Amino acid sequence: MIKHILEVRDLHYTYSDGTQALNGLTLGIKQGKTTAVLGGNGAGKSTLFLSLNGIFKPTSGVVLFKGLPVNYSRAGLRNLRQAVGIVFQDPDSQLFSANVYQDISFGAVNMKLPAEEVRKRVNIAMEQTGITHLKDKPTHCLSFGQKKRVAIAGVLAMEPEVLVLDEPTAGLDPMGVSEIMKLLREIQQELGLSVVIATHDIDIIPLYCDYTYVLDQGKIVLAGTPKEVFGQPDGLREVNLRLPRIGHLMEILKDKDGFAFNDTANTISEARRLLKDWKISQDKSARGVWKHVRRN
Amino acid sequence: MTNMDKYAYSSKLKQTAPMKKLIFAMLALAVCLWANSVLISVLVLFMMGWCTVCKGGAPVALFIKLMLLPISFLIIGVLTIAINASGNKDIFLFSIAAFGTHIGVTKLGMHQAAHLFFKSMGAVSCLYFLSLSTPLVDLLAVLRRLKVPKLIVELMGLIYRFIFVLLEAAETMHTAQSSRLGYADLTSTYRSLAALVSTLFIRAYQRSNELYTALEARGYDGELSVLEEPWETHWTEYIPPVTVNLALFGIALFLKRYAGGVL
Repeated sequence: MIKHILEVRDLHYTYSDGTQALNGLTLGIKQGKTTAVLGGNGAGKSTLFLSLNGIFKPTSGVVLFKGLPVNYSRAGLRNLRQAVGIVFQDPDSQLFSANVYQDISFGAVNMKLPAEEVRKRVNIAMEQTGITHLKDKPTHCLSFGQKKRVAIAGVLAMEPEVLVLDEPTAGLDPMGVSEIMKLLREIQQELGLSVVIATHDIDIIPLYCDYTYVLDQGKIVLAGTPKEVFGQPDGLREVNLRLPRIGHLMEILKDKDGFAFNDTANTISEARRLLKDWKISQDKSARGVWKHVRRN
Repeated sequence: MTNMDKYAYSSKLKQTAPMKKLIFAMLALAVCLWANSVLISVLVLFMMGWCTVCKGGAPVALFIKLMLLPISFLIIGVLTIAINASGNKDIFLFSIAAFGTHIGVTKLGMHQAAHLFFKSMGAVSCLYFLSLSTPLVDLLAVLRRLKVPKLIVELMGLIYRFIFVLLEAAETMHTAQSSRLGYADLTSTYRSLAALVSTLFIRAYQRSNELYTALEARGYDGELSVLEEPWETHWTEYIPPVTVNLALFGIALFLKRYAGGVL
Protein backbone atom coordinates (compact mmCIF):
# COMPACT_ATOMS: atom_id res chain seq x y z
CA MET A 1 0.00 0.00 0.00
CA ILE A 2 1.28 3.45 -0.87
CA LYS A 3 1.28 5.79 2.03
CA HIS A 4 -1.04 8.79 1.97
CA ILE A 5 0.51 11.89 3.45
CA LEU A 6 -2.78 13.78 3.32
CA GLU A 7 -6.17 12.21 3.42
CA VAL A 8 -9.65 13.59 3.26
CA ARG A 9 -12.63 11.53 4.38
CA ASP A 10 -16.26 12.31 3.62
CA LEU A 11 -15.64 16.04 3.63
CA HIS A 12 -18.60 18.42 3.59
CA TYR A 13 -18.29 22.16 3.45
CA THR A 14 -21.12 24.65 3.25
CA TYR A 15 -20.46 28.38 2.84
CA SER A 16 -22.32 30.83 5.03
CA ASP A 17 -24.56 31.74 2.08
CA GLY A 18 -25.72 28.12 1.86
CA THR A 19 -23.60 27.03 -1.12
CA GLN A 20 -22.57 23.44 -0.68
CA ALA A 21 -19.05 23.39 -2.06
CA LEU A 22 -17.92 19.96 -0.84
CA ASN A 23 -20.30 17.08 -0.77
CA GLY A 24 -18.85 14.01 0.85
CA LEU A 25 -15.42 14.19 -0.74
CA THR A 26 -12.87 11.46 -0.07
CA LEU A 27 -9.35 11.35 -1.45
CA GLY A 28 -5.77 10.60 -0.55
CA ILE A 29 -2.57 12.37 -1.55
CA LYS A 30 0.29 9.97 -2.13
CA GLN A 31 3.62 10.80 -0.58
CA GLY A 32 6.30 11.96 -2.97
CA LYS A 33 3.98 11.98 -6.00
CA THR A 34 2.25 14.62 -8.08
CA THR A 35 -1.50 14.44 -7.77
CA ALA A 36 -3.83 16.37 -10.04
CA VAL A 37 -7.27 17.48 -9.00
CA LEU A 38 -9.18 18.03 -12.19
CA GLY A 39 -12.50 19.79 -12.25
CA GLY A 40 -14.46 22.48 -14.02
CA ASN A 41 -15.14 25.91 -12.56
CA GLY A 42 -17.06 25.70 -9.31
CA ALA A 43 -16.35 22.00 -8.81
CA GLY A 44 -14.96 22.71 -5.33
CA LYS A 45 -11.21 22.64 -5.99
CA SER A 46 -10.38 25.84 -4.15
CA THR A 47 -12.57 24.94 -1.19
CA LEU A 48 -10.84 21.56 -0.99
CA PHE A 49 -7.42 23.21 -1.05
CA LEU A 50 -8.27 25.67 1.68
CA SER A 51 -9.50 22.74 3.76
CA LEU A 52 -6.19 20.95 3.26
CA ASN A 53 -4.25 23.43 5.38
CA GLY A 54 -6.95 24.34 7.83
CA ILE A 55 -8.05 27.70 6.46
CA PHE A 56 -11.52 26.18 6.18
CA LYS A 57 -12.77 23.88 8.89
CA PRO A 58 -15.05 21.30 7.27
CA THR A 59 -18.72 21.29 8.24
CA SER A 60 -18.36 17.54 8.64
CA GLY A 61 -15.82 14.91 7.72
CA VAL A 62 -12.16 14.77 8.57
CA VAL A 63 -8.79 15.82 7.15
CA LEU A 64 -5.90 13.55 8.11
CA PHE A 65 -2.28 14.61 7.89
CA LYS A 66 0.13 11.66 8.13
CA GLY A 67 -2.78 9.57 9.38
CA LEU A 68 -3.74 11.89 12.22
CA PRO A 69 -6.84 14.12 12.22
CA VAL A 70 -6.01 17.80 11.89
CA ASN A 71 -5.80 19.64 15.16
CA TYR A 72 -7.53 23.00 14.76
CA SER A 73 -5.86 24.61 17.76
CA ARG A 74 -3.48 27.54 17.20
CA ALA A 75 -0.35 25.43 17.50
CA GLY A 76 -1.87 22.59 15.48
CA LEU A 77 -2.77 24.92 12.64
CA ARG A 78 0.66 26.48 12.65
CA ASN A 79 2.27 23.05 12.24
CA LEU A 80 -0.18 22.06 9.52
CA ARG A 81 0.33 25.27 7.56
CA GLN A 82 4.06 24.85 7.75
CA ALA A 83 3.78 21.31 6.39
CA VAL A 84 1.13 22.01 3.76
CA GLY A 85 1.94 25.07 1.68
CA ILE A 86 -0.54 26.64 -0.72
CA VAL A 87 0.37 28.62 -3.81
CA PHE A 88 -2.64 30.64 -4.87
CA GLN A 89 -3.82 31.19 -8.39
CA ASP A 90 -3.32 34.95 -8.51
CA PRO A 91 0.14 35.89 -7.24
CA ASP A 92 -1.07 39.46 -6.80
CA SER A 93 -3.28 38.36 -3.96
CA GLN A 94 -0.49 36.36 -2.34
CA LEU A 95 2.44 38.76 -2.54
CA PHE A 96 1.92 41.44 0.06
CA SER A 97 5.31 43.07 0.10
CA ALA A 98 6.75 45.41 -2.50
CA ASN A 99 10.08 43.68 -1.95
CA VAL A 100 10.66 40.20 -3.37
CA TYR A 101 13.14 39.14 -0.71
CA GLN A 102 10.92 40.25 2.16
CA ASP A 103 7.90 38.53 0.73
CA ILE A 104 9.68 35.22 0.41
CA SER A 105 10.93 35.47 3.98
CA PHE A 106 7.44 36.01 5.44
CA GLY A 107 6.42 32.38 6.02
CA ALA A 108 9.80 31.35 7.36
CA VAL A 109 9.87 34.31 9.77
CA ASN A 110 6.41 33.32 11.00
CA MET A 111 7.86 29.92 11.91
CA LYS A 112 10.01 31.80 14.43
CA LEU A 113 13.25 30.54 12.94
CA PRO A 114 16.50 32.33 13.68
CA ALA A 115 17.40 35.04 11.16
CA GLU A 116 20.35 33.08 9.80
CA GLU A 117 18.18 30.06 9.06
CA VAL A 118 15.54 32.24 7.39
CA ARG A 119 18.19 33.89 5.23
CA LYS A 120 19.56 30.49 4.19
CA ARG A 121 16.11 29.21 3.30
CA VAL A 122 15.18 32.31 1.34
CA ASN A 123 18.36 32.04 -0.69
CA ILE A 124 17.80 28.35 -1.39
CA ALA A 125 14.16 28.94 -2.35
CA MET A 126 15.18 31.71 -4.74
CA GLU A 127 17.75 29.43 -6.31
CA GLN A 128 15.30 26.56 -6.68
CA THR A 129 12.78 28.76 -8.45
CA GLY A 130 15.42 30.57 -10.50
CA ILE A 131 14.66 34.08 -9.27
CA THR A 132 17.86 35.05 -7.48
CA HIS A 133 18.37 37.87 -9.97
CA LEU A 134 14.99 39.38 -9.01
CA LYS A 135 15.94 39.75 -5.36
CA ASP A 136 16.09 43.56 -5.34
CA LYS A 137 13.32 44.19 -7.84
CA PRO A 138 10.06 45.68 -6.64
CA THR A 139 7.17 43.21 -6.85
CA HIS A 140 5.07 45.42 -9.11
CA CYS A 141 7.74 45.46 -11.81
CA LEU A 142 7.72 41.68 -12.27
CA SER A 143 5.94 39.79 -15.03
CA PHE A 144 3.09 37.45 -14.18
CA GLY A 145 5.30 34.36 -14.51
CA GLN A 146 7.98 35.90 -12.31
CA LYS A 147 5.40 36.78 -9.66
CA LYS A 148 4.22 33.18 -9.77
CA ARG A 149 7.76 31.99 -9.09
CA VAL A 150 8.12 34.41 -6.20
CA ALA A 151 4.86 33.07 -4.78
CA ILE A 152 6.19 29.50 -5.05
CA ALA A 153 9.51 30.50 -3.46
CA GLY A 154 7.61 32.09 -0.57
CA VAL A 155 5.99 28.75 0.17
CA LEU A 156 9.16 26.68 -0.43
CA ALA A 157 11.03 28.78 2.13
CA MET A 158 8.78 27.19 4.73
CA GLU A 159 10.10 23.77 3.63
CA PRO A 160 6.68 22.16 3.40
CA GLU A 161 6.08 18.45 2.89
CA VAL A 162 3.08 18.99 0.66
CA LEU A 163 2.97 21.73 -1.97
CA VAL A 164 -0.55 22.60 -3.08
CA LEU A 165 -0.92 24.74 -6.19
CA ASP A 166 -4.17 26.26 -7.39
CA GLU A 167 -4.11 26.56 -11.19
CA PRO A 168 -0.32 26.92 -11.49
CA THR A 169 -0.50 27.30 -15.27
CA ALA A 170 -3.38 29.78 -15.51
CA GLY A 171 -2.45 32.98 -17.29
CA LEU A 172 0.91 31.73 -18.56
CA ASP A 173 2.01 31.42 -22.18
CA PRO A 174 2.89 27.93 -23.55
CA MET A 175 6.57 28.42 -22.75
CA GLY A 176 5.70 29.62 -19.25
CA VAL A 177 3.47 26.60 -18.69
CA SER A 178 6.14 24.07 -19.55
CA GLU A 179 8.78 26.00 -17.59
CA ILE A 180 6.70 26.14 -14.44
CA MET A 181 5.68 22.48 -14.72
CA LYS A 182 9.27 21.38 -15.25
CA LEU A 183 10.31 23.50 -12.32
CA LEU A 184 7.71 21.81 -10.14
CA ARG A 185 8.83 18.40 -11.33
CA GLU A 186 12.44 19.23 -10.48
CA ILE A 187 11.63 20.60 -7.06
CA GLN A 188 9.44 17.64 -6.33
CA GLN A 189 12.11 15.12 -7.25
CA GLU A 190 14.89 17.00 -5.53
CA LEU A 191 13.05 17.51 -2.25
CA GLY A 192 10.78 14.46 -2.33
CA LEU A 193 7.78 16.75 -2.00
CA SER A 194 4.22 15.65 -2.45
CA VAL A 195 2.64 17.99 -4.98
CA VAL A 196 -1.06 18.62 -5.48
CA ILE A 197 -2.20 20.59 -8.50
CA ALA A 198 -5.67 21.89 -9.19
CA THR A 199 -6.16 22.46 -12.84
CA HIS A 200 -8.48 22.37 -15.80
CA ASP A 201 -5.50 22.32 -18.15
CA ILE A 202 -6.11 18.71 -19.12
CA ASP A 203 -3.15 18.33 -21.45
CA ILE A 204 -0.53 18.79 -18.74
CA ILE A 205 -1.88 15.97 -16.57
CA PRO A 206 -0.58 12.94 -18.51
CA LEU A 207 2.78 14.72 -18.84
CA TYR A 208 3.44 15.73 -15.27
CA CYS A 209 1.09 13.95 -12.90
CA ASP A 210 1.20 10.51 -11.29
CA TYR A 211 -2.35 10.34 -10.06
CA THR A 212 -5.59 12.12 -10.90
CA TYR A 213 -8.85 12.85 -9.15
CA VAL A 214 -11.76 14.24 -11.08
CA LEU A 215 -13.96 16.49 -9.02
CA ASP A 216 -17.53 17.48 -9.77
CA GLN A 217 -20.06 19.21 -7.54
CA GLY A 218 -17.93 18.67 -4.48
CA LYS A 219 -17.41 14.95 -5.00
CA ILE A 220 -14.81 12.68 -6.58
CA VAL A 221 -16.30 11.14 -9.71
CA LEU A 222 -13.20 9.47 -11.17
CA ALA A 223 -9.83 8.52 -9.73
CA GLY A 224 -6.74 6.73 -10.90
CA THR A 225 -3.54 7.17 -12.84
CA PRO A 226 -3.92 9.57 -15.77
CA LYS A 227 -4.06 6.53 -18.04
CA GLU A 228 -6.89 4.98 -16.07
CA VAL A 229 -8.86 8.20 -15.82
CA PHE A 230 -8.45 9.11 -19.48
CA GLY A 231 -9.45 5.54 -20.34
CA GLN A 232 -12.96 6.56 -19.32
CA PRO A 233 -13.84 9.31 -21.77
CA ASP A 234 -17.58 9.03 -21.16
CA GLY A 235 -17.19 9.68 -17.45
CA LEU A 236 -15.11 12.75 -18.19
CA ARG A 237 -17.55 14.13 -20.73
CA GLU A 238 -20.40 13.74 -18.29
CA VAL A 239 -18.78 16.34 -16.03
CA ASN A 240 -17.99 18.74 -18.89
CA LEU A 241 -14.36 17.72 -19.19
CA ARG A 242 -12.61 16.13 -22.11
CA LEU A 243 -9.70 13.88 -23.04
CA PRO A 244 -6.29 15.38 -23.71
CA ARG A 245 -6.13 16.44 -27.38
CA ILE A 246 -3.82 13.57 -28.28
CA GLY A 247 -6.04 11.09 -26.44
CA HIS A 248 -9.02 12.40 -28.34
CA LEU A 249 -7.24 12.04 -31.68
CA MET A 250 -6.20 8.48 -30.89
CA GLU A 251 -9.76 7.65 -29.83
CA ILE A 252 -11.16 8.94 -33.12
CA LEU A 253 -8.53 7.06 -35.14
CA LYS A 254 -9.36 3.88 -33.31
CA ASP A 255 -13.16 4.12 -33.22
CA LYS A 256 -13.94 5.81 -36.51
CA ASP A 257 -11.05 5.06 -38.82
CA GLY A 258 -10.40 1.47 -37.90
CA PHE A 259 -6.87 1.81 -36.55
CA ALA A 260 -6.45 -1.29 -34.40
CA PHE A 261 -4.42 0.20 -31.54
CA ASN A 262 -3.89 -2.13 -28.64
CA ASP A 263 -3.61 0.68 -26.08
CA THR A 264 -4.58 4.31 -25.41
CA ALA A 265 -2.24 7.28 -25.62
CA ASN A 266 -2.53 10.75 -24.11
CA THR A 267 0.83 12.32 -24.81
CA ILE A 268 2.79 12.85 -27.99
CA SER A 269 5.42 10.27 -27.04
CA GLU A 270 2.80 7.66 -26.13
CA ALA A 271 0.98 8.24 -29.40
CA ARG A 272 4.22 8.02 -31.32
CA ARG A 273 5.07 4.67 -29.76
CA LEU A 274 1.59 3.36 -30.47
CA LEU A 275 1.65 4.48 -34.11
CA LYS A 276 5.10 2.97 -34.61
CA ASP A 277 3.93 -0.34 -33.14
CA TRP A 278 0.92 -0.20 -35.38
CA LYS A 279 3.10 0.45 -38.44
CA ILE A 280 5.36 -2.48 -37.58
CA SER A 281 2.39 -4.79 -37.22
CA GLN A 282 1.04 -3.54 -40.56
CA ASP A 283 4.38 -4.18 -42.25
CA LYS A 284 4.52 -7.64 -40.73
CA SER A 285 1.09 -8.59 -41.90
CA ALA A 286 1.79 -7.14 -45.36
CA ARG A 287 4.96 -9.24 -45.59
CA GLY A 288 2.96 -12.22 -44.38
CA VAL A 289 0.47 -11.70 -47.20
CA TRP A 290 3.31 -11.36 -49.75
CA LYS A 291 4.93 -14.59 -48.57
CA HIS A 292 1.59 -16.33 -48.81
CA VAL A 293 1.13 -15.09 -52.40
CA ARG A 294 4.63 -16.18 -53.44
CA ARG A 295 4.26 -19.63 -51.95
CA ASN A 296 1.26 -20.28 -54.14
CA MET B 1 3.84 58.31 -9.60
CA THR B 2 4.87 54.95 -11.04
CA ASN B 3 7.76 56.70 -12.73
CA MET B 4 9.08 58.26 -9.55
CA ASP B 5 9.25 54.83 -8.06
CA LYS B 6 11.21 53.58 -11.05
CA TYR B 7 13.75 56.38 -10.65
CA ALA B 8 14.17 55.58 -6.98
CA TYR B 9 15.10 52.01 -7.90
CA SER B 10 17.54 53.05 -10.59
CA SER B 11 19.11 55.86 -8.56
CA LYS B 12 22.85 55.72 -8.05
CA LEU B 13 22.15 56.55 -4.43
CA LYS B 14 19.96 53.49 -3.93
CA GLN B 15 22.77 51.57 -2.26
CA THR B 16 23.49 54.40 0.20
CA ALA B 17 22.16 53.60 3.65
CA PRO B 18 18.56 54.86 3.76
CA MET B 19 19.06 56.21 7.27
CA LYS B 20 21.77 58.52 5.97
CA LYS B 21 19.54 59.85 3.22
CA LEU B 22 16.64 60.29 5.60
CA ILE B 23 18.75 62.21 8.11
CA PHE B 24 20.20 64.38 5.36
CA ALA B 25 16.79 65.25 3.91
CA MET B 26 15.04 65.74 7.24
CA LEU B 27 17.75 67.97 8.70
CA ALA B 28 17.76 70.10 5.57
CA LEU B 29 13.98 70.30 5.74
CA ALA B 30 14.12 71.38 9.37
CA VAL B 31 16.76 74.05 8.73
CA CYS B 32 14.81 75.32 5.72
CA LEU B 33 11.59 75.64 7.70
CA TRP B 34 13.23 77.12 10.76
CA ALA B 35 15.47 79.62 8.94
CA ASN B 36 12.57 81.20 7.03
CA SER B 37 15.12 82.79 4.72
CA VAL B 38 15.09 83.07 0.96
CA LEU B 39 18.81 82.50 0.71
CA ILE B 40 18.78 79.33 2.81
CA SER B 41 15.76 78.00 0.93
CA VAL B 42 17.46 78.54 -2.40
CA LEU B 43 20.61 76.89 -1.05
CA VAL B 44 18.62 73.87 0.08
CA LEU B 45 16.83 73.74 -3.25
CA PHE B 46 20.10 73.71 -5.19
CA MET B 47 21.75 71.28 -2.80
CA MET B 48 18.88 68.79 -3.14
CA GLY B 49 18.71 69.32 -6.88
CA TRP B 50 22.43 68.68 -7.21
CA CYS B 51 22.28 65.54 -5.05
CA THR B 52 19.28 64.16 -6.94
CA VAL B 53 20.57 64.91 -10.43
CA CYS B 54 24.36 64.72 -10.21
CA LYS B 55 24.73 62.20 -7.38
CA GLY B 56 21.59 60.15 -7.97
CA GLY B 57 21.52 60.31 -11.74
CA ALA B 58 17.89 61.40 -12.11
CA PRO B 59 17.26 63.42 -15.30
CA VAL B 60 17.36 67.22 -14.78
CA ALA B 61 14.16 67.58 -16.77
CA LEU B 62 12.38 65.22 -14.39
CA PHE B 63 13.50 67.15 -11.33
CA ILE B 64 12.42 70.47 -12.85
CA LYS B 65 9.10 69.01 -13.93
CA LEU B 66 8.47 67.69 -10.46
CA MET B 67 9.42 71.04 -8.91
CA LEU B 68 6.90 72.73 -11.20
CA LEU B 69 4.11 70.49 -9.96
CA PRO B 70 3.38 72.35 -6.70
CA ILE B 71 3.87 75.75 -8.34
CA SER B 72 0.24 76.25 -9.35
CA PHE B 73 -0.94 75.69 -5.78
CA LEU B 74 1.87 77.78 -4.50
CA ILE B 75 1.14 80.76 -6.73
CA ILE B 76 -2.47 80.87 -5.62
CA GLY B 77 -1.42 80.63 -1.99
CA VAL B 78 1.30 83.23 -2.36
CA LEU B 79 -0.93 85.71 -4.19
CA THR B 80 -3.48 85.75 -1.40
CA ILE B 81 -0.71 86.66 1.01
CA ALA B 82 0.95 89.22 -1.24
CA ILE B 83 -2.20 91.12 -2.21
CA ASN B 84 -3.94 93.19 0.41
CA ALA B 85 -6.72 95.70 0.49
CA SER B 86 -6.64 98.91 2.50
CA GLY B 87 -8.15 102.44 2.54
CA ASN B 88 -4.69 103.92 2.97
CA LYS B 89 -2.92 104.17 -0.38
CA ASP B 90 0.48 104.96 1.16
CA ILE B 91 1.25 101.54 2.57
CA PHE B 92 1.32 99.92 -0.86
CA LEU B 93 4.29 99.58 -3.15
CA PHE B 94 1.86 99.75 -5.98
CA SER B 95 -1.90 99.51 -6.01
CA ILE B 96 -5.07 100.08 -7.96
CA ALA B 97 -8.21 101.75 -6.75
CA ALA B 98 -11.28 99.58 -6.90
CA PHE B 99 -14.62 99.38 -5.13
CA GLY B 100 -13.81 102.52 -3.14
CA THR B 101 -10.69 101.03 -1.62
CA HIS B 102 -7.14 100.27 -2.67
CA ILE B 103 -5.96 96.82 -3.65
CA GLY B 104 -2.26 96.23 -4.02
CA VAL B 105 0.97 94.81 -2.78
CA THR B 106 2.64 95.96 0.41
CA LYS B 107 6.30 95.58 1.17
CA LEU B 108 5.55 93.29 4.09
CA GLY B 109 3.16 91.18 2.01
CA MET B 110 5.71 90.89 -0.74
CA HIS B 111 8.35 89.90 1.77
CA GLN B 112 6.15 87.23 3.36
CA ALA B 113 5.07 85.87 0.01
CA ALA B 114 8.64 85.51 -1.23
CA HIS B 115 9.70 83.78 1.96
CA LEU B 116 6.78 81.39 1.82
CA PHE B 117 7.36 80.63 -1.83
CA PHE B 118 11.02 79.76 -1.48
CA LYS B 119 10.53 78.00 1.84
CA SER B 120 7.94 75.70 0.24
CA MET B 121 10.11 75.02 -2.78
CA GLY B 122 13.08 74.20 -0.58
CA ALA B 123 11.03 71.89 1.61
CA VAL B 124 9.49 70.11 -1.37
CA SER B 125 12.93 69.58 -2.91
CA CYS B 126 14.02 67.73 0.26
CA LEU B 127 11.12 65.33 -0.11
CA TYR B 128 11.79 64.86 -3.82
CA PHE B 129 15.40 64.05 -3.08
CA LEU B 130 14.27 61.38 -0.65
CA SER B 131 11.64 59.86 -2.92
CA LEU B 132 13.88 59.89 -5.99
CA SER B 133 16.77 58.19 -4.21
CA THR B 134 15.12 55.84 -1.72
CA PRO B 135 12.63 53.10 -2.59
CA LEU B 136 9.75 53.04 -0.14
CA VAL B 137 10.72 49.58 1.08
CA ASP B 138 14.05 50.97 2.35
CA LEU B 139 12.28 53.85 3.97
CA LEU B 140 9.95 51.46 5.77
CA ALA B 141 12.97 49.59 7.09
CA VAL B 142 14.28 52.85 8.56
CA LEU B 143 10.91 53.68 10.10
CA ARG B 144 10.83 50.23 11.66
CA ARG B 145 14.27 50.83 13.15
CA LEU B 146 13.15 54.19 14.45
CA LYS B 147 10.42 52.30 16.33
CA VAL B 148 7.54 53.87 14.47
CA PRO B 149 4.41 51.86 15.46
CA LYS B 150 4.29 48.60 13.51
CA LEU B 151 0.70 49.14 12.44
CA ILE B 152 1.60 52.34 10.61
CA VAL B 153 4.62 50.83 8.88
CA GLU B 154 2.64 47.73 7.83
CA LEU B 155 -0.20 49.86 6.52
CA MET B 156 2.21 52.01 4.54
CA GLY B 157 3.76 48.89 3.01
CA LEU B 158 0.41 47.35 2.09
CA ILE B 159 -0.93 50.59 0.64
CA TYR B 160 2.21 51.00 -1.43
CA ARG B 161 2.02 47.41 -2.72
CA PHE B 162 -1.65 47.56 -3.61
CA ILE B 163 -1.59 51.00 -5.21
CA PHE B 164 -0.03 49.28 -8.19
CA VAL B 165 -2.41 46.33 -8.18
CA LEU B 166 -5.47 48.56 -8.00
CA LEU B 167 -4.05 51.02 -10.49
CA GLU B 168 -3.67 48.18 -12.94
CA ALA B 169 -7.23 47.02 -12.28
CA ALA B 170 -8.51 50.57 -12.77
CA GLU B 171 -6.60 50.90 -16.03
CA THR B 172 -7.99 47.63 -17.34
CA MET B 173 -11.52 48.66 -16.43
CA HIS B 174 -11.05 52.08 -17.99
CA THR B 175 -9.83 50.53 -21.23
CA ALA B 176 -12.73 48.09 -21.25
CA GLN B 177 -15.18 50.93 -20.69
CA SER B 178 -13.59 53.18 -23.32
CA SER B 179 -13.70 50.44 -25.90
CA ARG B 180 -17.45 50.30 -25.39
CA LEU B 181 -17.75 54.10 -25.74
CA GLY B 182 -17.99 54.58 -21.98
CA TYR B 183 -16.29 57.96 -22.21
CA ALA B 184 -17.83 59.21 -25.45
CA ASP B 185 -19.65 62.18 -23.90
CA LEU B 186 -19.96 63.91 -20.58
CA THR B 187 -23.00 61.99 -19.33
CA SER B 188 -21.51 58.62 -20.08
CA THR B 189 -18.18 59.74 -18.63
CA TYR B 190 -19.86 60.47 -15.31
CA ARG B 191 -21.74 57.21 -15.42
CA SER B 192 -18.69 55.14 -16.37
CA LEU B 193 -16.50 56.81 -13.79
CA ALA B 194 -19.06 56.13 -11.06
CA ALA B 195 -19.22 52.48 -12.08
CA LEU B 196 -15.43 52.25 -12.20
CA VAL B 197 -14.95 53.74 -8.76
CA SER B 198 -17.58 51.57 -7.10
CA THR B 199 -16.30 48.42 -8.80
CA LEU B 200 -12.77 49.29 -7.79
CA PHE B 201 -13.92 49.62 -4.22
CA ILE B 202 -15.52 46.18 -4.28
CA ARG B 203 -12.44 44.78 -6.00
CA ALA B 204 -10.22 46.22 -3.28
CA TYR B 205 -12.41 44.58 -0.68
CA GLN B 206 -12.19 41.20 -2.43
CA ARG B 207 -8.44 41.61 -2.76
CA SER B 208 -8.09 42.22 0.94
CA ASN B 209 -10.05 39.03 1.66
CA GLU B 210 -7.90 37.00 -0.71
CA LEU B 211 -4.74 38.50 0.72
CA TYR B 212 -5.83 37.63 4.23
CA THR B 213 -6.47 34.02 3.23
CA ALA B 214 -3.11 33.79 1.49
CA LEU B 215 -1.30 35.31 4.46
CA GLU B 216 -3.05 32.93 6.81
CA ALA B 217 -1.86 30.02 4.69
CA ARG B 218 1.69 31.16 5.38
CA GLY B 219 1.15 31.36 9.10
CA TYR B 220 0.10 35.02 9.52
CA ASP B 221 -0.49 35.72 13.18
CA GLY B 222 -1.36 39.38 13.21
CA GLU B 223 2.05 40.74 12.33
CA LEU B 224 3.66 41.10 8.92
CA SER B 225 7.11 40.15 10.08
CA VAL B 226 9.71 39.82 7.35
CA LEU B 227 13.44 39.45 7.17
CA GLU B 228 15.18 42.62 6.17
CA GLU B 229 18.51 42.60 4.48
CA PRO B 230 20.90 43.97 7.02
CA TRP B 231 22.66 47.25 6.39
CA GLU B 232 25.33 48.30 8.77
CA THR B 233 26.48 51.87 9.00
CA HIS B 234 29.31 53.23 11.02
CA TRP B 235 28.54 56.46 12.88
CA THR B 236 31.27 58.25 10.91
CA GLU B 237 29.13 57.93 7.80
CA TYR B 238 26.66 60.34 9.31
CA ILE B 239 29.31 63.06 9.58
CA PRO B 240 29.00 64.48 6.03
CA PRO B 241 25.20 64.91 5.94
CA VAL B 242 25.17 66.36 9.44
CA THR B 243 28.10 68.68 8.70
CA VAL B 244 26.48 70.10 5.59
CA ASN B 245 23.32 70.81 7.51
CA LEU B 246 25.22 72.33 10.40
CA ALA B 247 26.87 74.70 7.93
CA LEU B 248 23.44 75.64 6.60
CA PHE B 249 22.28 76.15 10.15
CA GLY B 250 25.26 78.42 10.80
CA ILE B 251 24.55 80.55 7.76
CA ALA B 252 20.90 80.79 8.79
CA LEU B 253 21.90 81.88 12.28
CA PHE B 254 24.27 84.49 10.83
CA LEU B 255 21.57 85.82 8.51
CA LYS B 256 19.02 86.01 11.32
CA ARG B 257 21.37 88.05 13.48
CA TYR B 258 22.98 90.38 10.93
CA ALA B 259 20.65 90.59 7.95
CA GLY B 260 17.57 91.05 10.13
CA GLY B 261 15.54 88.51 8.23
CA VAL B 262 15.59 90.46 4.95
CA LEU B 263 17.19 87.67 2.96
